[in-house]
Amino acid sequence: MGKNWQHQFFYLAIRFGGRRLAYFFLYFVVGYYVLFSRQARRRAEPYLRRRFPNAHGFKRFYHSYRLILNFGRVLVDRAVVGIMGPQAFKVTLHERERLLSLLDEGKGLLMIGAHVGCWQVAMAALDFMQRPVNMLMRREDGDIDRHYYEHAGIECPYQVIDPTEYLGGTLQMLGALKQGEVVCVMGDRTLGSERSSVEVEFMGGTVELPYSAYKIASTTGTPIVVFFSRKESSDSYSLHLAEVIRIPEIKGREAQSFIPYVQKFSTALEQYCQQLPYQFFNFFPMWRK
Amino acid sequence: MNTNLDIKTKLKQVLVEELNLEDLTPAQIDDDEALFGEGLGLDSLDAVELVVVVQKHFGVEIKDMEEGRPALQSINTLAAFIEEKQK
Repeated sequence: MGKNWQHQFFYLAIRFGGRRLAYFFLYFVVGYYVLFSRQARRRAEPYLRRRFPNAHGFKRFYHSYRLILNFGRVLVDRAVVGIMGPQAFKVTLHERERLLSLLDEGKGLLMIGAHVGCWQVAMAALDFMQRPVNMLMRREDGDIDRHYYEHAGIECPYQVIDPTEYLGGTLQMLGALKQGEVVCVMGDRTLGSERSSVEVEFMGGTVELPYSAYKIASTTGTPIVVFFSRKESSDSYSLHLAEVIRIPEIKGREAQSFIPYVQKFSTALEQYCQQLPYQFFNFFPMWRK
Repeated sequence: MNTNLDIKTKLKQVLVEELNLEDLTPAQIDDDEALFGEGLGLDSLDAVELVVVVQKHFGVEIKDMEEGRPALQSINTLAAFIEEKQK
């Protein structure tokens, strides 16, 4: 969201006035977008209509403003991490010991997150595991902010696995898990073919969510951790372990066998949205049916 | 030690059984047929299973994409990879 020069403007604001100045400009920029950009409102609408089914007219407009404003703050925070380093935010990780004990099983760790809070900031909290962290994410042209670590000359704290590469990056994921590493994936958006997704219930409707990570976990015996980040205050985030999912060996090509496990993720995400309605930033049309 | 022919025969058999390729028999799989995409029609999820199957049945580990990409092209390339690793 936003053009290149707009990103550059906010980078400058952060450099010269810090996070607060960038936040200040956001009120106007987001106000403009919500008032005049039909596309911005349209992208937020499917989620808001389900999260606030009784909100119409001005109320819906208000929810759009709050959601997009929070999204803007997260984009600013993302850039702040790139420019000033992860120490710019206080990040609290809950259930640290539990994560370590799962890693000690020696089968790597699959962390399934979602487009909530700010995962880039939350990544800073994973240092303590002292294992390489891999992130399955698509490299897109023009997505300058996502690669800000590289632009700022700061070492990227995670290795990127590109799902558009050979066999959807599954071989790299397997290789990383075999080495006992951590692999993070986003569980709320499909990246590949329809065969790698299953239908589950989410906020009163049916959505397609990917199950590749669950398949890998089933094959390798790797534990899955569902984790969500949340913005707690202007300069702090927390990372919560919402669910640990263990999947038995499931043979064959039958995707339906994975539905109960993907549903666990979906239910945890729905609970998150109930608690923090303005921190869910999946502007992808999830409810297509 | 398994010969290349033994490996190919066993590979086809475990492929059909472990990946539940219900519409296919081992005899119907050509040695040069592409495993993924057009050809046998396997996809990235089957690749996960295939890597594990190769380790389980042949004791050979496909460590990363550098090894996996050339090996997972067809039955011929996979059998040659396994044979080489078993030496």
